[in-house]
Amino acid sequence: MKRGYGETWDPPPKPLPASRSGEGPSMADKKKADDDNNNSNMDDELLAVLGYKVRSSEMAEVAQKLEQLEMVLSNDDVGSTVLNDSVHYNPSDLSNWVESMLSELNNPASSDLDTTRSCVDRSEYDLRAIPGLSAFPKEEEVFDEEASSKRIRLGSWCESSDESTRSVVLVDSQETGVRLVHALVACAEAIHQENLNLADALVKRVGTLAGSQAGAMGKVATYFAQALARRIYRDYTAETDVCAAVNPSFEEVLEMHFYESCPYLKFAHFTANQAILEAVTTARRVHVIDLGLNQGMQWPALMQALALRPGGPPSFRLTGIGPPQTENSDSLQQLGWKLAQFAQNMGVEFEFKGLAAESLSDLEPEMFETRPESETLVVNSVFELHRLLARSGSIEKLLNTVKAIKPNIVTVVEQEANHNGIVFLDRFNEALHYYSSLFDSLEDSYSLPSQDRVMSEVYLGRQILNVVAAEGSDRVERHETAAQWRIRMKSAGFDPIHLGSSAFKQASMLLSLYATGDGYRVEENDGCLMIGWQTRPLITTSAWKLA
Amino acid sequence: MSEKRISMVEKSNNKRQRVNQVPKFSINDHHDVLVEILRRLDGPSLCSAACVCRLWSAVARNDSIWEELCFRQVSPRPSLSLRSVVSALGGYRCLYFLCIRPVLARLPKLLWTRDQLQFSLSLYCVHYYERLYVGAWLGDAPPSSLMFLRKPVNVV
Repeated sequence: MKRGYGETWDPPPKPLPASRSGEGPSMADKKKADDDNNNSNMDDELLAVLGYKVRSSEMAEVAQKLEQLEMVLSNDDVGSTVLNDSVHYNPSDLSNWVESMLSELNNPASSDLDTTRSCVDRSEYDLRAIPGLSAFPKEEEVFDEEASSKRIRLGSWCESSDESTRSVVLVDSQETGVRLVHALVACAEAIHQENLNLADALVKRVGTLAGSQAGAMGKVATYFAQALARRIYRDYTAETDVCAAVNPSFEEVLEMHFYESCPYLKFAHFTANQAILEAVTTARRVHVIDLGLNQGMQWPALMQALALRPGGPPSFRLTGIGPPQTENSDSLQQLGWKLAQFAQNMGVEFEFKGLAAESLSDLEPEMFETRPESETLVVNSVFELHRLLARSGSIEKLLNTVKAIKPNIVTVVEQEANHNGIVFLDRFNEALHYYSSLFDSLEDSYSLPSQDRVMSEVYLGRQILNVVAAEGSDRVERHETAAQWRIRMKSAGFDPIHLGSSAFKQASMLLSLYATGDGYRVEENDGCLMIGWQTRPLITTSAWKLA
Repeated sequence: MSEKRISMVEKSNNKRQRVNQVPKFSINDHHDVLVEILRRLDGPSLCSAACVCRLWSAVARNDSIWEELCFRQVSPRPSLSLRSVVSALGGYRCLYFLCIRPVLARLPKLLWTRDQLQFSLSLYCVHYYERLYVGAWLGDAPPSSLMFLRKPVNVV
């Protein structure tokens, strides 16, 4: 069972008074009130704030027992069963609780709960239904037949009529999902308020909760918890760069898996290609500048479409921009070679040039060697522009460069989300919704080979890490909405081109072929095409020309 | 009268012999006719025909049969340059099995126009490019951009 971040258990505290609405019981259940024996002000203050009651004098002992418990629980086989079957006796009284846990572990509880284990509630959480921070999940009904103990079951069980003789308090996955989100948001708020101790405690709770939550929600929460932890400990050492230095194509491998497993990139490529085709219908020579070549998956389809153009194919020239090459590999040139072979098969005259650039703002108009008298110029950018927002002035410089080479059409594909707000909490909330939708869409595609799905999740996980944990020039995943890009492009001197119905039809066809075709949506928004999951738009394709 | 009868019997005997002597027509000797017939079949029938015997299976690999199958419903008929493109990508038979048949299975009421054709060809291109150029680079896992087409739709 995936434990998520934080190997320590997290006992549920008492419900806190309403004033502290941000953080609260993630596993709220009624506790025995009559067991309180700690009413002196000898309780440790910090923990009391969280709802735990520990006498300051007992702290060392409790800490030792907690360590013991952690060691036992970190053994996965035992831990998972115990975590799910654990009996909590007044968890707010830490020392007694730990005692009970340790004794329980020596005599594990009977597994009469196993009969219900198979009934997994995979109900889809609905983030829109989450009320604001101040609202709390209602306390569940407690079937209280025995006064002595209450049994709490974690994880995704469906509600069952009592199959056990003991009284049961059930938590179904939708409740847990809501609690998980609350905990995540509470943690982000704590970070936002610079309350790092609280944030630390909360992030561990999130980790535990996420581990017990099945499905997309659990995975998203795990990634977010990891990112939050990195932010708390200021541990963002640009791991991505380290990885990239070691294996520059790692990112490309992940993107390739993402391409294969879901329709977002295919949608982007097909719609951009359609826009390009419509712009170059009469051109005899076409020059495409791809601001992020990756594996060049977009261009075979375009070349084929050009080959079948009535009147014969134009001559096709591709300038691909990629990251700086290491000594041993010249992947850009190899890619050019592959594309050249493909073009030869198609019967399309082909020319390739690779440009290695550390950052797109380093590009100058002369580097492209455009031939304005004879060729029609196209500039294409898929998920590249938002990175430039990390440094001020970069995006303006790039757009000026693009304007200087006078393209006929500029196609832009970007994520449809605002992950570039100044306030961390807003960014976090937005990112949570966005990536939850993305993971949800991945989850539902049952037909995927599991490696594709896992790698796609890692790909998205790296983006999450960057959005949440990084700051300054490290934070490159600065997504902005279509409306924001529209303003930017217009102020840079570009006018929108409306994408035609052909692009829409192709996109609709693509999505209807996916097994979960109901979930994906294509919509047209002021000339741009957006693909989304359920009601949430995720990726936008737009086209621009010089004003 | 008996002579007439004898001669009639003789004539009928001759006729029978003549009928017996006319060589039987076997379709297996006339591959071009077989191709013409197979071209008019629909997908499932064509696949059944290809399973009849080794000869028919070999004949059924004739790409023009599958070309007809792919574009029967497309109007206007695509240009001839399409043939060279599709052959370069692997042929009409593969195009049918990889792209067109799954699409038709999922969207049976689809009207085949240029857009749908273009779309299928784009998918086919992606598959071809992946298979030849990207597959080795990704390692052992075969490229699976079209995997979403192969699995049956989970109708929940």
